[in-house]
Amino acid sequence: MEALALSLVKSFPALAAAPLWAVSLALMVAAGAVVLVFALTFEGVGSLVLRKVAGDIQARIGPNRVGPNGILQFLADGVKLVLKEDIIPAKADRFLFKIAPYFVFVGSFAAFVVVPFGVGLSPADLNIGIYYVMAVTSLVVIGVMLAGWASNNKWALLGGMRAAAQIVSYEIPVGMALIPAVLIAGSLSLQDIVRSQGGLLGIFGWNLFHNPFTFFSFFLYFTAAQAETNQTPFDLPEAESELVSGYNVEYSGIRFGLFFLAEFGDMFIVAALATACFLGGWQVPFFNAAALPPLWGNLLSLGVFLAKAFLMVLVMMWVRWTLPRLRVDQLMRMSWKYLVPLTFVNLLGVSLWLLVFRGKGIPQMIASIFG
Amino acid sequence: MTLKAYLNDILEAVVTTAKGMRITARYGVDPKEEVTLQYPEERWEMPERFRGFLFNDIKTCTSCTMCVKACPVDCISLESVRGADKKMVLCSYDINIARCMYCGLCVEVCPPKSLKHTGGYEMASLTRGELVLHFVKEDAAEIKARVARQVAEAAAKAAEAAKAAEAAKPAEPAKPAEPNPAPEKKE
Repeated sequence: MEALALSLVKSFPALAAAPLWAVSLALMVAAGAVVLVFALTFEGVGSLVLRKVAGDIQARIGPNRVGPNGILQFLADGVKLVLKEDIIPAKADRFLFKIAPYFVFVGSFAAFVVVPFGVGLSPADLNIGIYYVMAVTSLVVIGVMLAGWASNNKWALLGGMRAAAQIVSYEIPVGMALIPAVLIAGSLSLQDIVRSQGGLLGIFGWNLFHNPFTFFSFFLYFTAAQAETNQTPFDLPEAESELVSGYNVEYSGIRFGLFFLAEFGDMFIVAALATACFLGGWQVPFFNAAALPPLWGNLLSLGVFLAKAFLMVLVMMWVRWTLPRLRVDQLMRMSWKYLVPLTFVNLLGVSLWLLVFRGKGIPQMIASIFG
Repeated sequence: MTLKAYLNDILEAVVTTAKGMRITARYGVDPKEEVTLQYPEERWEMPERFRGFLFNDIKTCTSCTMCVKACPVDCISLESVRGADKKMVLCSYDINIARCMYCGLCVEVCPPKSLKHTGGYEMASLTRGELVLHFVKEDAAEIKARVARQVAEAAAKAAEAAKAAEAAKPAEPAKPAEPNPAPEKKE
């Protein structure tokens, strides 16, 4: 952010009067606001698309009353959530009950900070990017557990306990499945990881095609991440049919809205990480976006990244409306007996591959054969 | 668990997931699969023999009370008096549509086929009283009073005619009283 501030001061000498820290602070606030607006818009539109996709898959129509073809439904939902009464149960632990949604929302939203939206377009290019995402999304567990405990409701408590068990279990395969991308790039920064996937027509540089192990790694990550963010085949914490609504059963109004937004935020984070780590991030197919003139390169790469990420979100919705919910023991078995060993094997495979072939992927080898 | 069973489990999971995803994708892509009917704007076409609300055409109804007797739940109530022309005049014909179970027995037994099922099925009301369908719009007491008046008039006329016939006995035998289809006065 400071580099951007410096370049800004250079191009607009009028800003030189203000101290550099003030300019970078203003930039930070602006970037945060932009990302927040993006996140909220995505969450709104995402909820509409989710319902439309559900309608299509279930041979229904879906929302079509508010606005043309129902496209304003998310605004109606949002207004409803904001205007509804914020009920706090009499026996609830008021303080914890009140702060729990913020933990969940912050945990989900803070991860947006490192998402590499495009060439040079990430609110903060941390050199511990992936690690940061893993760490900060764990805040969600705390929020969910607090919500479950503070509601003083047996369903909420069960949901919270399940969420804790599930998220803690699935952090491991998620992390292990992401490490191959880190190994190939040699960096934890998401921008570096995306940059390492350039070249080779912009498609075959993707980590997905790097070697068979990374290919499997992508699917393992996608599966585990769905479970970590409580998406539907693994939505045990909020299993409607058994726990009514799980940890958020006692919430209403804007506090429920925060849980709701966090769910969609998590969805985007999973899609964005999958895109950045395996699908080439903002790398434009058949094109070198980084070589374009600054503004066009930025916008093009932003568009490509969002297209890939939204496609992944769509796939998540598709999975969500296809697969039935797992049982608790099945969920745990899947994590500890299947995903964890498989991701370890994958990690070992990628490490050996990098060692044996000196970091070259299959497409790179093929390219070098043909010169 | 053997390694083979372990790998088989993984394979099965992948294959079954792919299978399910293919099915939902087919439904998601094909717009013809939509079966939703946008109810207030679109409606199902009712079958020809659909048993909706009952409707009685009181002009052809003969007040025979067959429907009342046939009704298993006693939802039809009927009141009638004998008119001046010896035919029954309907005073009131009510169907408690809340109690009706649409068995169709009343329609089956109706001799003049005046009672019919319509295609109607939409009725919501705030009170239960609104669910009683009144087919005779006029007040029952008024009809009874009018019919009684007509009957009395007819009787008086018959008596007069009889007296006249008595007087003109040698000329002709007494004529029976002419039926009196006086047009119904509307209040």
